[in-house]
Amino acid sequence: MIGNVRRFEPFGQAPIRVIDDDGRWVAPFACDLDEARLRAIYRDMLRARRFDERLSTLQRQGKVSFVASAAGHEATQVGAAHALDAGRDWVFPYYRDLALALALGWPLSEALAQQMASRIDPARGRQMPAHPGSAALRIFTTASAISSHVPPAVGSAMAQKLTGRGDVTLCSFGDGATSEGDWHAALNLAGAQGAPAVFLCQNNGYAISVAFRHQSGSADVATKAHAYGMPGYRVDGMDPLAAYYVTRQAVERAREGLGPALIEALVYRYGPHSNADDDGRYRPADEVAAWRRRDPIARYRRYLEGRGLWDDAAEAALAAEVKAEIDDAVRANEAAGRAPLGWMFDDVFADLPPHLRRQRDELALTHDLERDGH
Amino acid sequence: MALQTIVQTVARTLAEEMARDPSVVLLGEDVGKRGGVFLATEGLFDRFGPDRVIDTPLSEAAIIGAAIGMAVHGMRPVAEIQFADYVFPGFDQLVSQAAKLRYRSGGGFSAPMVVRMPAGGGVAGGHHHSQNPESHFVHTPGLHVVYPSTPSDTRGLLRSAIRGDDPVVFMEPKRLYRAVKEELDDDDATIPIGVARLRREGDDIVLISYGASMAETLKAAAALAAQGVSADVIDLRSLLPWDQDLVLERVARVGRVVVISEAPRTLSFASEVAATIAEEALDLLEAPPVRVTGFDVPYPYAQDRAYLPGPDRILHAVQRVLDY
Repeated sequence: MIGNVRRFEPFGQAPIRVIDDDGRWVAPFACDLDEARLRAIYRDMLRARRFDERLSTLQRQGKVSFVASAAGHEATQVGAAHALDAGRDWVFPYYRDLALALALGWPLSEALAQQMASRIDPARGRQMPAHPGSAALRIFTTASAISSHVPPAVGSAMAQKLTGRGDVTLCSFGDGATSEGDWHAALNLAGAQGAPAVFLCQNNGYAISVAFRHQSGSADVATKAHAYGMPGYRVDGMDPLAAYYVTRQAVERAREGLGPALIEALVYRYGPHSNADDDGRYRPADEVAAWRRRDPIARYRRYLEGRGLWDDAAEAALAAEVKAEIDDAVRANEAAGRAPLGWMFDDVFADLPPHLRRQRDELALTHDLERDGH
Repeated sequence: MALQTIVQTVARTLAEEMARDPSVVLLGEDVGKRGGVFLATEGLFDRFGPDRVIDTPLSEAAIIGAAIGMAVHGMRPVAEIQFADYVFPGFDQLVSQAAKLRYRSGGGFSAPMVVRMPAGGGVAGGHHHSQNPESHFVHTPGLHVVYPSTPSDTRGLLRSAIRGDDPVVFMEPKRLYRAVKEELDDDDATIPIGVARLRREGDDIVLISYGASMAETLKAAAALAAQGVSADVIDLRSLLPWDQDLVLERVARVGRVVVISEAPRTLSFASEVAATIAEEALDLLEAPPVRVTGFDVPYPYAQDRAYLPGPDRILHAVQRVLDY
């Protein structure tokens, strides 16, 4: 813990960086992370990227219906995850937060079960793919409705303030989310309550096709924090250590009772919004290529290599380990089968009410309730 | 014990529940120092303090959303929406988050919370202080919806709503807030959500209603009695789940039924009750089930006494069913 050390001032013009594009340390303080943590950040980014790539393959094979790739967002998500006390702090994610959830400890087989709606999904196959969530890890179940999770995240932080146990809430969303009324209502409430919430905006410049300049008249997202009485930080979101250190500062402020903060991480999504999108209609290929050249995984690897913490042998070993883990998860979920029809009626309420019992019986007249869903 | 009004019963029950369970917290606009614009939280701020009676910003999305987040942490929030007409900025929180939370997470998360809202017309409030939006919530799987009409039912159902494990939309008949009084037993009894109450027994016609319209329905039943027509009167009290068993049992016994509700007719809860009766008990009916409801217009200002199903319109419908 760095205690009361404040490394970053809010509302700066230039995005905060800790390592540059060549992987050189540029921050005016020394790295205080141990080697295991530094390697874990790399592992979590690469593992998320490989899993993401496999999901696209599974989508093309018809085994997963939808993919919202996090490629390009890994540095921000993994850096933020490492700044939290996973399993103690609460996280309210959005649909592109697969790398965040995995880095918090969401088992990869469970993550795949969510994508495939298999019978081993603890969420019982209820959600479309790309909707992370884990009650065991205090990762709130994702909702597609943009920004609808932000007011509940503030309620979570208010509960944390009332109970005084020192845990905090991180709420993550994209740039488009900042246009919703719920977003403003929630940040306003968080400011008024001094709730221990950290708002993390992953600004990749586009809400599906709509560029940020059409999303808002503000120069950037961080500025909006002014209005709600909290600091706003603008971060190079392709730098995992910048994401880590800025989130850590915001989390520590919140834990100390100093209230909420807003972080804007500048990222880029390499792929289309989802497999159903055609990004060639709204952004130039050379823009994509330019961002890819700033890839956070390659950039961070250069930093680790410069410190003698990574090499080709380590890379090969990690790649093999991750591939085996993903292969195992695919096998386990294919063997489990899809969530059965009968599960449709469970978990609407704590107890099955009479009208749902009747409706389940009605379906059983024409369908085998044990049969796999489709 | 002195007679209690419905709004006094709300405040008293909230106080009892807050004393019983420290995880019960209140939040909303003006619920603190002001005690609520209808005084439904009167005295609670002084007794329980600002951490448990929270004056929020003027944002229904924030109020309901925050209640969801607190509920996820194991608290038992009771949110007040000042008028049911103003729930719509928070509608997405109820529909997209609260109602689906248990389902989305396979039971991993849930939102045990109550959203109280005074509803209904007859208070010279025009379309933004008079509506009955219950059908929106009944049509959203995952929410319980209750709408009591007496102090004792308010108390028993509010206890169940606060102590239960699901989100509850708790509609309160503001026209009856101070019009219906009862002496309350000094007990801790709950009324299960989903159980209707027979308010009056009769053999000639079944009248089914809930919420504020119960007052007019009972007036109509008394007028019928004076004419020698005995009416069975069912107060549904809960709209989701609702007591199909009692309704079908009483309708089967009598064979004639009128359903009364002051919400607009199309897709109203009265329509659901009438359709269920038609589907399940057609061969036992002597006449088609008839609905007496508000009209399919925005709630009117100058004409609201005619818009509301009063005894005159109820009696006219009863005559139609008796004459069939």
